[in-house]
Amino acid sequence: MTRAVPLTFAVPKGRILDEALPVMAKAGIVPESAFSEPASRSLTFPTTRVDMRLIRVRAFDVATFVAHGAAQAGIVGSDVIEEFDYSDLYAPVDLGIGRCRLSVAEQEAGAASIDRASHVRVATKYPAITRRHFAARGIQAECVKLNGAMEIAPALGLAGRIVDLVSSGRTLAENGLVETDRVLDVTARLVVNRAALKTDPRVGAIVEAFRAATAEPA
Amino acid sequence: MTASPPDLLPEGLADRLPGEAALLTQAMRRALDVLASHSYARVRPPLIEFEHSLAQRMAGLSPQRMFRFVDPQSLMTLALRADMTPQVGRIAATSLAAAPRPLRLSYAGEVAVIRADQLDPARQRLQLGAELIGADTVAAAGEIALLAVEAAEAAGARGITVDFTLPDLVDHLAAEGVPAGDLAAIRRELDAKDAGGLAVAGGEEWAPLLHAVGPFDAALARLRAWERAHLLASRLDGLAAIAERIGARARLTLDATERHGFEYQSWFGFTLYAANIGGALGRGGTYRIGGSDEAATGFSLYLDPLVDTLGAEDQAEAVHTLFLPLGHDPAIAARLRAIGWCTVAALDESDNPARLGCTHRLAGGEPVAV
Repeated sequence: MTRAVPLTFAVPKGRILDEALPVMAKAGIVPESAFSEPASRSLTFPTTRVDMRLIRVRAFDVATFVAHGAAQAGIVGSDVIEEFDYSDLYAPVDLGIGRCRLSVAEQEAGAASIDRASHVRVATKYPAITRRHFAARGIQAECVKLNGAMEIAPALGLAGRIVDLVSSGRTLAENGLVETDRVLDVTARLVVNRAALKTDPRVGAIVEAFRAATAEPA
Repeated sequence: MTASPPDLLPEGLADRLPGEAALLTQAMRRALDVLASHSYARVRPPLIEFEHSLAQRMAGLSPQRMFRFVDPQSLMTLALRADMTPQVGRIAATSLAAAPRPLRLSYAGEVAVIRADQLDPARQRLQLGAELIGADTVAAAGEIALLAVEAAEAAGARGITVDFTLPDLVDHLAAEGVPAGDLAAIRRELDAKDAGGLAVAGGEEWAPLLHAVGPFDAALARLRAWERAHLLASRLDGLAAIAERIGARARLTLDATERHGFEYQSWFGFTLYAANIGGALGRGGTYRIGGSDEAATGFSLYLDPLVDTLGAEDQAEAVHTLFLPLGHDPAIAARLRAIGWCTVAALDESDNPARLGCTHRLAGGEPVAV
């Protein structure tokens, strides 16, 4: 019944993508050549499967497209999944790529100039996770939502701490910040839309293909 | 200060204009007819009740999701219903407590929530359903699941998928001794189908449940092959019996650890999906009525999304609209209405049959095509 409708697979722009392409290839999802052309301004790309196309969007938007069913499946970091906590988003396969962590960082001198014992101000792209993390410690976190370059916020007095992705820790160090707490270990996950998984057998097949692709040794 | 436009409707609330309203009314009527034909007697509880009475029977829905306010009469908190199931439960536990069991009741009406879901902006929905009170056996579950499919079909749903689940599975297995460190975390990760998260929560033992998802027969076979399956034997046999009863009327899938919308169900639950509808069309299962703790099985459908998929072919039998000119014979008009015509009576000479959407006009006592 829904077989005629092409499947849409959402992938994030940026770092994860380079690691994701080989895994996708093992699972039978190979983009046509236009995908790798840097000059291409296209947002949708055909794949070698006639009934599947790729869309390349921001990581947070991968979750939104898939949760709403506009894309049936996609790849996104567990940080984004936790942040949205969408009930219609399933993350059935841990792809084991894009490893990093979501951490709290503050200036070496501490965050005392802005923060009090039960109330902190945090600059982050992840207000929901941040609030939950601090709430679990009995601390009210006031989040300043930034979309990038959180690292400069403490030095400028915008916020006492930041919650951001850390992989090597170099950016933190260069901005005079130290990691004080680890919120979440992050890896990329295959995500699928709940209703699509239930109603379209092709989505179940994608899950099986990725499960097999990640099970075999790299 | 910016003044809000006075006729703007609040977010998540909308009018249904004639075409859509007709389709929705028709879908509701056809589904209710199915329920009536199986002798589910309609009840019509009120829109507003005491909050505590609704809340004690709705484990699945937080009272914070209801519109609530103080009753100037009793000075108690009232709530606008967000789900009709607890109202039916109240009726079964009070006014109809002495009625013979099993008791078959149906209902249809509008429900509202104070804040919409993440994915669906609607704050008001039409809920329609049936409850079989006094039984939560395999036979009762089979009757309700099949009835839900039949009602959805009658309402116009196509390509129906029924997704079975075992709502109390995790608690049952944990009680039977399957090791569960952080049960809440394991439940959450199973729910999100998050294999990585499950491993972090120390729930490797439970991982096979993540694989028992998909087309019913295959998923059931995988579940039966699990080394812990003997703990579930009666539940799995029950599922198989219900599946057999539905047979080929719907595509069947199994997702043993699905919990969405199954906060209060006991051993059996199901979700109904239909072609071209993004989310679920309805859900049902076995449960215990809050307060009286009586066993019951029931389902609810939310028909609003169907309207967008119902096309011309689902439109009520092609309506013939007859224009009645000034001075027509009212007896003839009444006779034609009795055999199915819809009439539009002229109010003055200038009325034009075509502009009023009429397909025919009354001339010489007979309908003539316009």
